[in-house]
Amino acid sequence: MSLSLTSFLEVMPPLLKAAVVTVEISMLSLAFTCVIAPPLAIARMIGPWPLRFSVLAMVEAVRGVPPLVVIAFVYFALPAIGLTFNGFWTGVTALTVVGAVYAVDIVRSSIESLGRGQKEAAQALGFPVWRAYLEILFPQALKRILPPLTNELANVIKASALLSVISVNEISHVGQGLIFETFIVVEIIIQMAILYLTIVGCLSVLSKALERRLAH
Amino acid sequence: MWDVLVRLIPSLELTIKLSLTALIMATPIGIGLGTLRATLRDRSFAARILDSYVLMVRGTPILIQIFAVYFLLPLTGLKIPLYWLGVLALVFNSAGYQIEIARAAVNSVPNGQWEAAAAIGFNRSQLLLTFILPQAARRMAGPVMNELSQLIKASSVLSVITLYELHKAAEAIISANFRFVEVLIVEGFWYFVFVYTLVMIAQRIEGLFSASGGLAEQR
Repeated sequence: MSLSLTSFLEVMPPLLKAAVVTVEISMLSLAFTCVIAPPLAIARMIGPWPLRFSVLAMVEAVRGVPPLVVIAFVYFALPAIGLTFNGFWTGVTALTVVGAVYAVDIVRSSIESLGRGQKEAAQALGFPVWRAYLEILFPQALKRILPPLTNELANVIKASALLSVISVNEISHVGQGLIFETFIVVEIIIQMAILYLTIVGCLSVLSKALERRLAH
Repeated sequence: MWDVLVRLIPSLELTIKLSLTALIMATPIGIGLGTLRATLRDRSFAARILDSYVLMVRGTPILIQIFAVYFLLPLTGLKIPLYWLGVLALVFNSAGYQIEIARAAVNSVPNGQWEAAAAIGFNRSQLLLTFILPQAARRMAGPVMNELSQLIKASSVLSVITLYELHKAAEAIISANFRFVEVLIVEGFWYFVFVYTLVMIAQRIEGLFSASGGLAEQR
């Protein structure tokens, strides 16, 4: 096992291009996750029972199976109901589902940890329940949501590696292809690890900064 | 649907074997190293090595870790059967997470406990084994069981190195008959049952541990 700088540089351009795809997919999934998780969490808490039940069922079902199964399901099921996405958007959809179900529980438990007083005060002031949740409880819970949510979003970025099984050209798919093409093994694996560490690292730096902002 | 359910049982057994073997190997390593890490100064050399190992495990996808084990270990000339490559990849991953669990649990034992035990005249290793670890174990029990359900889910990724576990077997059936909805639901069902059984056991264990909480437990 010896490292060579030339091989390291040789595989760099395709891997960097793949890293862009990973970042794009991750950012889109993270954005969608953050948009749909709070309403779903509120629906899970105060929605009419059919809605409450279906959110609960979806969350429990997805949390109980590996992300790979979710990816396979979205990959096969979307075309079956007439939605033909390319690999990229199939990946974004699957990762959003995976991220959102975990985020729903994070949002819910953070809101529930606030204490009854806040909710009761909002109701006493005449807020309808859903507005109390959206405008009073949710903003307060944000501070508690952020650290576990960051953790989960990092998991989503890491799960994006699994999209290689549906041939999305992200880091691990391209890296795997390069290994078999060039037989440069060590350099490629190290480089893939560095790329993921960097992307996940950026997320945690961003979240730390946001946490500080929220703390004031 | 019934035939798929039955056909997947052998591969479910492999999934169970893989994840349990990995847990049994990873837990002593993780708890040992995590406890060690909690007693080290942050700037010491060993602490830095452990920290970078944990950072690497937590910062990269399990897929990359599996690639690393699968491609790199054979380069060293060792001939390791595929099954054990899979187990090793899971152990590498899980030990990293468990170091973090054990470190946090040991650190969460209040300082007064260390001081009290030291005041009675226990030396450092007795103190760790008889005072701190039993208290920390209570806090570790839940997260470690949770780690097992993560391991089960992670073991599905071993399908990429053609280990014939539950997900690989399901994929094979799908490519043979294209009854993907059925097969994926059955596959999901097996994972779900396995994972939730463990979650329930984990909650029981957590309950047991906290019910027996002694004087030392701060509430």
